[in-house]
Amino acid sequence: MILISELNHTFKIGKKGQEKDIPVLRNVNLDVAKGEIVAILGKSGSGKSTLLNLLAGFMTPESGSIQVNGEELVGKTETEKANFRLQNYGFIFQSFQLMPGLTAFENIELPLKLQGVGKQQRMIRVKELLQQVGLTDVSDHYPNELSGGQQQRVSIARALIGRPSILLADEPTGSLDSETEQEILQLIQLLNHHYGITFVIITHDEEVARTAHRQYRMHDGAIQEEMHYVS
Amino acid sequence: MLAKDQREFISQHMKRNKLRVFMTILAAAMGCAFLIILASVGFGLHKTIQDEVLSNRIVTEIELAGKEGADERVTPEEVDAIRKMEHVKTVVERVMVPGSATVKLGEKEGYGELVYTDLAAEQLANLALDSGKMPASSEEVIVGYQFANSFLTEEQYKEIEAADDYLAKETELAQAIRDKLVGQTITVDVVDYETNEVRATQTYTISGIAKKPGRDWYYDQKIYADTSKSSEVLAAFDIEAPDRSITVHATDFQYVEDLTNSLKDQGFYVYSVTEELGEMNMLFTAIQIGLVIVGTVAVLIASIGIFNTMTMAVTERTREIGIMKAIGAPPSLIQRLFLLESTLIGLIGTVIAVAVSYALSFVVNIVVPIIVFGSINEEAPTDMTITVSYIPWQLVLIAAVISVGVAVLSGWRPARKATSIDVIQALKEF
Repeated sequence: MILISELNHTFKIGKKGQEKDIPVLRNVNLDVAKGEIVAILGKSGSGKSTLLNLLAGFMTPESGSIQVNGEELVGKTETEKANFRLQNYGFIFQSFQLMPGLTAFENIELPLKLQGVGKQQRMIRVKELLQQVGLTDVSDHYPNELSGGQQQRVSIARALIGRPSILLADEPTGSLDSETEQEILQLIQLLNHHYGITFVIITHDEEVARTAHRQYRMHDGAIQEEMHYVS
Repeated sequence: MLAKDQREFISQHMKRNKLRVFMTILAAAMGCAFLIILASVGFGLHKTIQDEVLSNRIVTEIELAGKEGADERVTPEEVDAIRKMEHVKTVVERVMVPGSATVKLGEKEGYGELVYTDLAAEQLANLALDSGKMPASSEEVIVGYQFANSFLTEEQYKEIEAADDYLAKETELAQAIRDKLVGQTITVDVVDYETNEVRATQTYTISGIAKKPGRDWYYDQKIYADTSKSSEVLAAFDIEAPDRSITVHATDFQYVEDLTNSLKDQGFYVYSVTEELGEMNMLFTAIQIGLVIVGTVAVLIASIGIFNTMTMAVTERTREIGIMKAIGAPPSLIQRLFLLESTLIGLIGTVIAVAVSYALSFVVNIVVPIIVFGSINEEAPTDMTITVSYIPWQLVLIAAVISVGVAVLSGWRPARKATSIDVIQALKEF
């Protein structure tokens, strides 16, 4: 499903002409199977977010290969990467990243609009998903009228609406209280179990990482597998 | 993204910034309206002068002054060939006599301008009758509408001078003479210009009176006699080859230019109203282009507003653009959405501008002539229409293309900026 090989990336800092190279990823290799939940743990600055950004196609690595569903991501154009994300990925962000001017319904509907799905079909799918994440009553609420947990549910529903095979989650419970965190983690497990969706979760929280089938830890740009919970 | 969803997306964004979008549309509309109104003055004055030129002339007429060659004369064979040309209605040949005509009508004495012509061709060309009928023989003539005026007596002239409205009085008295003209016999003395001697005398019966000329100031005092009657007068003057005035009449105004050019190519010396219009049109086209350029400056100033609005929109929506790109919106879609928004602003502005311009043009055409004639203490001539502002569809099209084009260009850079927004930076900002 996901095969990352020999991935290297460097950030350039400093004034032009006096730039300094800071290596953030060093020979990262990662293999994620279909239907797996993989957690990538690490402290701030360990390179875990950079890895996710490269996997999402938001950045281009210095060297190495990223294969997703048999397709090489490195070398694709911006348009190709955008289309790839639309068809294969769903995103869950720590700060939810909902469109403030759109209602919960419209936020969830957005990826379907981008895919060019007709209005009738969109209505059916969004309503179905709102019911699954328990947000039917607040479908016409704007993000600022929702609680943190509700916003993250909207964000998860938006990530799922396009029926992606992979969900990339960056600190999905980082902005939530412990009770809501548990609800979201249960929802992730349920979706994984029910739909066989592959999850790559970036977190610094050991509790969140325990939801995963496998854990990787990152330190100074290097990655290493730590635990394997599920056989 | 479906086109309908794109439209919905744009209108949602525009509604969220109603005031700013409204002000931008207003600026775009003002710029475009300024362009249209300014240029419409050029078109209006052009139309006024063109109408004046056309109304003073028989627009389907082409004057034939001669032909390249030794004696520069047009032969009867050549006239026949012209008559057979496509879109030629008729050719009128008038024989010129080097003398004036003194006319006796019973006891009264007057004068007229003797014209020997082919009356059938004249009728086909333009000659219409006010009363009476066309001559049945060469002994009969048609006289011009104001031919009667030359028989007003000295007493009558004194009466006219004493009247408050002397023009109306003259018309009234001349009408009394005119009413009795048809059927009367006139004796025409052809007097030599140089020696003042009577060279020939002819007698005719008036069979009809020509229609009143379109212009009040033009007095038609012609005596239209048949060409065959000219030989005796020409013999008296010892003229073998008289001067002739030849006019070619086209079937429609639209063929005049082509016919004029075709005759020119054949070596004829020609003159038609299109010659005059051609030079005038060129001058006015230059003025109109100048006015459109000046007006475009106003549109360009308005474009700064559109540029600002769109740049602000991109800056404000950095996060939203980041989210859209993250979940899979291609750069081309982001660019299209912003370009469509600026195009829509330009388009709405243009529609408002066109409506306002037509309304303003209507008002200006009523008010300005009143002010102008008021300021020079004169009444507007009843037979003259002054068009101060005229908006042809071509002007609307040009203004719309410039206005929308400038709006698209103003939105181009902000739209490009939107596509280059870095997803990671955009999502980090909030």
